[in-house]
Amino acid sequence: MNRLAGRGPAGGAEGRTAGDAARHAVKVFRAEALKQHRQIFGSKLVVFSMLIWPLLTLVQTYYTLHPLAATPGIAARWPLAADPERLLAFLATGTLGFTFFFSLVQSAWHFSMERQNGTLELLFLAPASRLAVVVANGFGALVQNAWLFACFSVAMFTLLDVVNVAHPGMYAVVFLAMLVPAVAWGAFLNSLLIFSRDAAFLYTLLDDPMWFASGVRLPTFALPGWLRAAGSVLPLTGSLVVVRGALLDGQGIADLAWPLVWLAGLSGALLLAAAGALKAGEARAQRTGQLRLF
Amino acid sequence: MIETKHLRKEFGGKVAVEDLSLTIPRGRVTGLLGLNGAGKTTTIKILATLLRPTSGTVTVGGLDPGNTPHAVRRRINLIAGGERMVYARMTGRENLWYFGQLYDVPGKLLKTRIGELLELVGLTAAAGTRVEQYSRGMTQRLSIARGLINDPDYLLLDEPTLGLDAPIARDLRKVVAELAERGKGVLLTSHYLAEVEQLCEHVYVIGDGRHLAEGTPGELMAQTGCHRRVRITVSELTPEVEAAALAFDDRVRIAPQADEHGTGAVIELSHPGDVAGALTTAVIAAGGAPSGLEIAEPSLEDAILALSDRSVAVVA
Repeated sequence: MNRLAGRGPAGGAEGRTAGDAARHAVKVFRAEALKQHRQIFGSKLVVFSMLIWPLLTLVQTYYTLHPLAATPGIAARWPLAADPERLLAFLATGTLGFTFFFSLVQSAWHFSMERQNGTLELLFLAPASRLAVVVANGFGALVQNAWLFACFSVAMFTLLDVVNVAHPGMYAVVFLAMLVPAVAWGAFLNSLLIFSRDAAFLYTLLDDPMWFASGVRLPTFALPGWLRAAGSVLPLTGSLVVVRGALLDGQGIADLAWPLVWLAGLSGALLLAAAGALKAGEARAQRTGQLRLF
Repeated sequence: MIETKHLRKEFGGKVAVEDLSLTIPRGRVTGLLGLNGAGKTTTIKILATLLRPTSGTVTVGGLDPGNTPHAVRRRINLIAGGERMVYARMTGRENLWYFGQLYDVPGKLLKTRIGELLELVGLTAAAGTRVEQYSRGMTQRLSIARGLINDPDYLLLDEPTLGLDAPIARDLRKVVAELAERGKGVLLTSHYLAEVEQLCEHVYVIGDGRHLAEGTPGELMAQTGCHRRVRITVSELTPEVEAAALAFDDRVRIAPQADEHGTGAVIELSHPGDVAGALTTAVIAAGGAPSGLEIAEPSLEDAILALSDRSVAVVA
C-alpha cells in the first residue's frame, strides 16, 4: 500500500479549543443525520408512511370526536367541539406535535439497533462528542419524520382558514417550541439506552401516556387532576400549549411567556440529564463491557 | 509506545485479566496469543478505551486513556474480524465518510484517503454499492478500511483475517507488515498461527488472563521445548537398529508399526539441531532399511499448546 494521504487530526492534546470541538460536533451532527437518513428513511415507502400514518390517526380521531358536536350544551363546556373546523385544527396541531415527539421515540428504538448491529462500540471508539451523536440522531429522525405532515398541516390550516396568529414571527416560535423540546426529549431517550440495554421498554411506557396526558386528542381540562399533573411534566404538553395558543388563539409572546420559559427550562434539564446519562453510561460500559450485550 | 503495567480486569468478581504487563512499540507487529477465553479481547478493548482496567496502568504514546480518552482515541483504532461493524444500508464510501467525520478527518484529506483505502481493500468498484449487498469477505474488508480511516499510530487487530478469502488475507498481512515498517505499532491476535509467525517480531502468550511467556516465535518454541521432529520408518526393527537408534540420542522414541510382516517401527526424535541425516545414517549403518523419512518443523501452535497445557497443570 502507498502511504495513506497525510496525517489525520491525531496531533494535539485532549483539550482542543472550544472552536475545534464545536466544529467537530457540527461535522458529527451532519454525519449522524445523514447516516440515519440512509439507514431508516432511504425508501420511498417510508416517506409515504410519514404522511399516511399521522393522517389516518387524525381522520380516526376527528370522526371519533365529531359526534360530540351534537351533544346538547357542548358549546358551553368545550366550544371547540361545536365547531368542526376548529376541532379539526385542534386535533391537527395535536397530531403534528405528537408526530414530532413520537418520531423521537422511534429514533431511540432505531438507535437501540446499534447495539445489536455491533456498531455502538464503534461510536464509543471514536473521539466524537457522544451528546452530538444522540442529539443529531434525534434531530435527523424528527426532521425526516415530521416534515411531510408539517407541510400537510400548514396546507390544511390555510384551506380551513382557522389560523389566528398575532404576529408572523409566532410561526418561528411555534416551530421552535416543537423542535427544541422534541430534540432534547430524543437525546434523553437515546442516552438512557446507553446507560441501560433494558431501556427500550421505556419507549413503550412513555408513548401512550404522552399521547393521552399531553392533550393530543382531548383538552387537558377534560383529564382528572392527577393525570393533568403527570402530563404537565411531559414536554409535549407545553409544546401543544404554545402551538395551539399561538396558531388558534392568537396569543403573542407575552401571553405565552410562562409556557415558553417552562419549555426552555425543561429542554435544558433534559439535555443535562442526557449528558449525565451518557457519561455515567459510558463509565458503566467501560466497567462491565455491556455495550456489546443485547 | 503502548505500555500496560500490572493490568487487572474483573467482571463481577470474575477475573478476565490478571497482572498483565505488555509493551507495544511503534514500528513492530506484536502478537497476543492464547486459547479462547485467555483474555485477549478484553486486553485489546482496554487498550482501545472501550473497557477500563480494574487496576494497573495503561499509557498510549505517554497519554493516560483515563485522563485524555479522546486524545488516545485519535491515535488508535480497532479492527475485529467476523464483525458486522459497518452500516448495511449505506454504501462502502458512505460508511468510510461517516467514520471519517467521527474522527474529524479534514474534508479534502478524507476524500483522498477514502479512495486510497477502497483501493487498498479492493473495493473501489463496489464503493457505491450498499453494504447489504456485499459478501462477508467484502464487509470485512470494509471494516479494515474503516479501522485505518484515522491513520492511527497504533492499530489493534483482533482476528482481522477471520472469514477472509486466502488472497485477501494475504494482502492484509502485507498491509499490516507495511504499516509496521512505516512506524505504526500493531497488536495482533489471530487463530492463524502461521500468520503470527510470519508477522510478529515479538509475541506475548497469555492464559486465564495471565502472562505465560513472551519472545520471538523462535524463542517461544525453544522455551517450550518444541523442536524439529524426525520420523524414520523402518520395515524391520532388528536389535542392532534399535540399539543404534537409542545410542544416537537418549530422546529417541521407538514405536512398533504393524505391517504385513509385523516387524516394522517408527523411530522418532525431537531435537533442536539438524540431526535427520546423522540419525538416518546411523540406522542404515546398523543394517536398517528406512522406507520413509519425515522432518516436521516446530510450529508456534505447538508452543502455545505446550504453554497452555503447563498453565492448566499449574492451575490444577
